[in-house]
Amino acid sequence: MIVAAAVAVLALAAVCLGQPVIPPHRLPAVLGDRASVEFVVLWELRVPRLAVAVFGGAAIGAAGLLLQEALRNPLAVPELLGVSSGAALAVAVCVVWALPVPYGLHPLLGLAGAACGGALCLAAARTARGASATLLVGAAVSTAIQALLLAVMATAERIQYDMLFRYLVGSLTGVMWEQAAHVLPWSLLAVPLVVLCVPVLGLLRLGDDTAAALGSRVGRARLGVLAVASLLIGCVTGPCGPLAWVGFVAPLLARRLRPHDEARTWLPWSAALGALVVLAADLVARLALAPVETPLGAWTALLGVLAGAVLLRGEAVRPRAAARDGRAGGSR
Amino acid sequence: MRRLVWILAVALPATVLAHLLAPGIGDLGTLLGPAGTLEHRIMWELGVPRLLAALLTGAALGVSGLVLQLTLRNPLAAPELTGVNPGAVLGILAGLTFGLFPADSAGGALAAALAGSALGGSATWLLTSRDPGRAIVYGLLGSALLAGLVTLLLAYQPSRFGNALRWLVGSVQGRVWEHLGFTWWWITGWILLIWAGSAVLGVLAPGDDHAAGLGLRPGAARAAALTAATALAAGAASLAGAVAFVGLVVPHAARWLAGADPRRTVPVAALTGAAAIAGADAVAQFADRLMAGAEVTQRLGVPTGVVTALAGAAVLVTVARRAAHVPG
Repeated sequence: MIVAAAVAVLALAAVCLGQPVIPPHRLPAVLGDRASVEFVVLWELRVPRLAVAVFGGAAIGAAGLLLQEALRNPLAVPELLGVSSGAALAVAVCVVWALPVPYGLHPLLGLAGAACGGALCLAAARTARGASATLLVGAAVSTAIQALLLAVMATAERIQYDMLFRYLVGSLTGVMWEQAAHVLPWSLLAVPLVVLCVPVLGLLRLGDDTAAALGSRVGRARLGVLAVASLLIGCVTGPCGPLAWVGFVAPLLARRLRPHDEARTWLPWSAALGALVVLAADLVARLALAPVETPLGAWTALLGVLAGAVLLRGEAVRPRAAARDGRAGGSR
Repeated sequence: MRRLVWILAVALPATVLAHLLAPGIGDLGTLLGPAGTLEHRIMWELGVPRLLAALLTGAALGVSGLVLQLTLRNPLAAPELTGVNPGAVLGILAGLTFGLFPADSAGGALAAALAGSALGGSATWLLTSRDPGRAIVYGLLGSALLAGLVTLLLAYQPSRFGNALRWLVGSVQGRVWEHLGFTWWWITGWILLIWAGSAVLGVLAPGDDHAAGLGLRPGAARAAALTAATALAAGAASLAGAVAFVGLVVPHAARWLAGADPRRTVPVAALTGAAAIAGADAVAQFADRLMAGAEVTQRLGVPTGVVTALAGAAVLVTVARRAAHVPG
């Protein structure tokens, strides 16, 4: 309830605040008057941005939970698995070197990059056991991809910097209906796929051996879940860049809010919290240093990391409670 | 021991030679030959300082990583994973953005890097509640936080993004004698100091109880060691920015070469690191030369950091996969 109310309030704020400020009670009037400047600002700039923030945040939140549950590792976040940076690299290469790829296919490109990055990490970490080994390999591959991304940027024209900037951490600057039209269908397409993942997650949480004994093909199931997560991340990264650390903090918050539930309930929570985090951060990004827009991803990184550190510290202080939560949370 | 001597005797001169020859300006004859030719000047004014910057950066990062790994007792402790290196980069970029020092001032960059790395390192250290075992998780989080701050800084002045790239990805391109002046003494001085105190590191590494039993105050010794590691990492960052993976991989290579005794591992880590970055930069220069044939470019060129990141990731993945087969 509170989350829904918070999303609604923030959405209203996202539509109303900024330059010019449109008070809430005037919204219907402005929407009716198609000739006014305010209508253009509202309908062409703020509403698509809001839609992308909500859907993108939800997609990343859900993807983060899918990754964490499928790999049974609370640190399996898009940033550390090469998924985000793979997607960003694919799109950035295409933009910088002006490859003849139609704009509509950028989400597919992001998807391919995300899948490649993720597959590379998983192949590299396949035999690595335990959270720290997977984390290490993932961080290594991500850093390498990030370095390639920066190298690609180094070959860019000065004029392209603004555009490229978003592939470093993610930003919603300049998102209009054209870009939104490329995110929304894909995230809607992903919804039934995510729902299909839910029973699989329940099985995977039991551990590889138990899941196999229950008759599920563990490798294939995990691959399926990861593919869905890659789809979610890829379609968001195309227009917005990697929304840094949203996929880390949203599932963490969801687990903290509902410590005794399981993946089925966390998934919608995580999606809602992801949307909430992105909306809040985008509002800050737009207004904090207005007239200059700051990249949204920088704020989500700050927010996400601070929240993560606080939550992790809370667990460290109460090891017994953490052990209980950890069992309930499937985190190791 | 023989393996060590052989590898260093071959690897270090080989990378130095490769680095000098990679740009294809001239050969050793030009370098040692009569002064006055254009090639001679290019090699002395651009090639040699770039080589020295690469060697210094590598030595500093290798020793810094080794000290961090020993004092934090964590094989993953490296300047780039404990917030030290990202902090240094943040410091330099903040200094440049707000015009605290001129862009070509080596001393200013060093001071800013030092302030930033001290900030990043101590933030990580305070977050971990002084528990070395948890340093990496918080270090990673802290590094992400600092990366976010860096992007905020970049957004503040997007026109400087091109200049900032070299610090973000790490490159020794364009380092000339002026950049080396003080940093040279800073880095060699700290390395020698650490070498002189390496016996303390050996006592501290097995555990605080062990160290206390031998009459060492572990807290003070660790503080001193972390200070030295931070100072070295800042020196490296002020020369080359954030060169990835050298501080993580080189100490392991040094231990593989020279065993566990820090009195031997410290100099070996310095030499291995120097060879690693010189080699990586040679590859970068060579790639630059190949690419320059296709397109004349006034841009940054292939940054050293990309080569080290790719090579380092490959090494790490191989090691992690092999280590997984060993029980425990």
